[in-house]
Amino acid sequence: MTEPAIRVEGLRYAYGTAVAVDDVSFSVAPGEILGFLGPNGAGKSTTIKMMTGLLDPQAGTISVLGMTMPSEKETIQAQIGVCFEEKNLYLNMTGRENLVFFARLFGIKRIDPEALLRRVDLLERADDRAADYSKGMRQRLMVARSLVNEPRVLFLDEPTDGLDPVSSLAIRRIIQEEADRGAAVVLTTHDMLEADKLSDRVAFIHEGRILAIDAPETLKLAHGERSVRIRSRNGPEIEEVVIPLDGHDAEDQIRRAVGVEGLMTIHTEEATLEDIFIEFAGRGLR
Amino acid sequence: MSRRLGIIGAIIRKDLVAFTRDRFYVFITVFGLIIYIAMYWFLPNSVDETIEAGIYWQGGSPQVLSSGDGLEFITFDTPEALEAAVDGSGDESVPIGLDFPNGFVESVRSGRPTTVRVLLTTDVPDEYRGAMTSFVRELAFLVAGTELPVTQLDTTEVILGEDRAGDQVSLREKMGPMFVFFVLLIETFALATLVATEIQARTVTAVLATPTRLSDFLAAKAIIGTVLAFGEALLLVTLIGVLGTSPLVLIITLLLGALLVTGFGLIAGSTGKDFIGIVFWSMVFMIPLAIPSFAVLFPGSAADWVRVLPSYGLIDSIVRATAYGDGLVELSGPLLLLSGWCVIAFTGGLFALRRKVASL
Repeated sequence: MTEPAIRVEGLRYAYGTAVAVDDVSFSVAPGEILGFLGPNGAGKSTTIKMMTGLLDPQAGTISVLGMTMPSEKETIQAQIGVCFEEKNLYLNMTGRENLVFFARLFGIKRIDPEALLRRVDLLERADDRAADYSKGMRQRLMVARSLVNEPRVLFLDEPTDGLDPVSSLAIRRIIQEEADRGAAVVLTTHDMLEADKLSDRVAFIHEGRILAIDAPETLKLAHGERSVRIRSRNGPEIEEVVIPLDGHDAEDQIRRAVGVEGLMTIHTEEATLEDIFIEFAGRGLR
Repeated sequence: MSRRLGIIGAIIRKDLVAFTRDRFYVFITVFGLIIYIAMYWFLPNSVDETIEAGIYWQGGSPQVLSSGDGLEFITFDTPEALEAAVDGSGDESVPIGLDFPNGFVESVRSGRPTTVRVLLTTDVPDEYRGAMTSFVRELAFLVAGTELPVTQLDTTEVILGEDRAGDQVSLREKMGPMFVFFVLLIETFALATLVATEIQARTVTAVLATPTRLSDFLAAKAIIGTVLAFGEALLLVTLIGVLGTSPLVLIITLLLGALLVTGFGLIAGSTGKDFIGIVFWSMVFMIPLAIPSFAVLFPGSAADWVRVLPSYGLIDSIVRATAYGDGLVELSGPLLLLSGWCVIAFTGGLFALRRKVASL
């Protein structure tokens, strides 16, 4: 069995009396993408801060690549990449300079910034200052920056938030490529479709606790309803039937419904991750 | 170790790029240097020790009132013209006027009471008033041809330290330390802005998610702040031509001064939440720190509370090294005090920055 790239057990952190993270446990395998889902203030960022060494846990253990955080922080940090929600780039430096600077912090003397910039489609703007980049370009540069050390573990906090579809697609492609390369990816997002599409597993976090963690398909099968919605024309009327797939005679019902004359549309429906999150947390993600 | 140095070096290089690309930093740095150097060379380099006094004496001034020994008399034709010269409304201007009444000589010789009006501007020091009154009395005895009522005591003048008679500390020499100090203060503001920008943009968080330690970050900021402040101050003292007087003492003093302002810059940068906040906190430190530099303009005026201000040791050392040629031994006291303040300011700055970064 493959050793997890990240193993977190009983993690806890409180800001004064406000508990931000409470008894959080999970693991992420190499090459796996874990979607971390929860509303603002759920404890996602605090958990990521502890995993990336920016905050020391008050209780619990964090193991990254077989090393313990925070006692082996620097060795771990040398092998992780972090893309923050805030666009914390050096705006008065060019895209190339931003990458070279961070490479030096990792002790990398020979870096090929062009290759990284090409990967995020910024090569032509390599020598422009980040201040002159659009929001999407800055986000792509942030992603490129998180990859300068070819990380074995990648933390991405809302990497596509507010981006245009083209930029979002480019970033999703890179995330998938990194996972395919073998990097463990922890992805925080509000975008349910993105989480559903990209994540091998998702973790619902609410009020500092993990409510559920599983593959999106498994969660959707275990929670919420699946159904088929069939619309047909009967003279001037339009009839619509919704057949729950969990019923024992669902197949017969569908066969009958599609056999009628004037069939118009057939839609399959299933619960979204948002629906399932609401079922667990009693509230939405935003 | 080499890895740590590599990281610190990378942050310093990055900060230098940030510094040189920010028009505001460059402007205040270059503008400050040019203005202070220009002002320094425009200031007078000598002190006129002659006291000018206006005289009204009917029929022209007598032989006994000849100029000399630091006194220069200007004769006026009427008491009104003399008064106008003293109050500044006339064509000529004098700070002191002696209005001798008509028949002064006869009155004095015959022993009749008479009054000499001593006219003074408001800014004439007390000691000048007393000196003028004594001068008139002596003149009266001279005119009367009699001895002074007491035998003049023999006095021996002993000058402790270098005798600056005829070579007083000029306004240029007095202002030099102030300019050096202001250049250092400008760098306080520049460093505070550099630090605050890292905090506000959260770039420090990105840096600390790499193998960079907080101590690497702090060391880089401390080095860049100190080097910039020291370099600029050193350039200034070189260009105004005072480095040659006591180079070693000045270099040590400026280095300590640079450390001091860097400490305060770190505090201001960590405390200010935005540009206005940085300006506010920079001013909170700059104003009290600037007080000793004004005290230099009025020797002997520094009150005890001024002497304990962090910048007093710095200003005092610069003044004494440049104007009086004091060496390390003579300046060990103020330099020790300055070193103590450096430790306090630097520790405070590092603590404030560490606390701020931890809270992000």
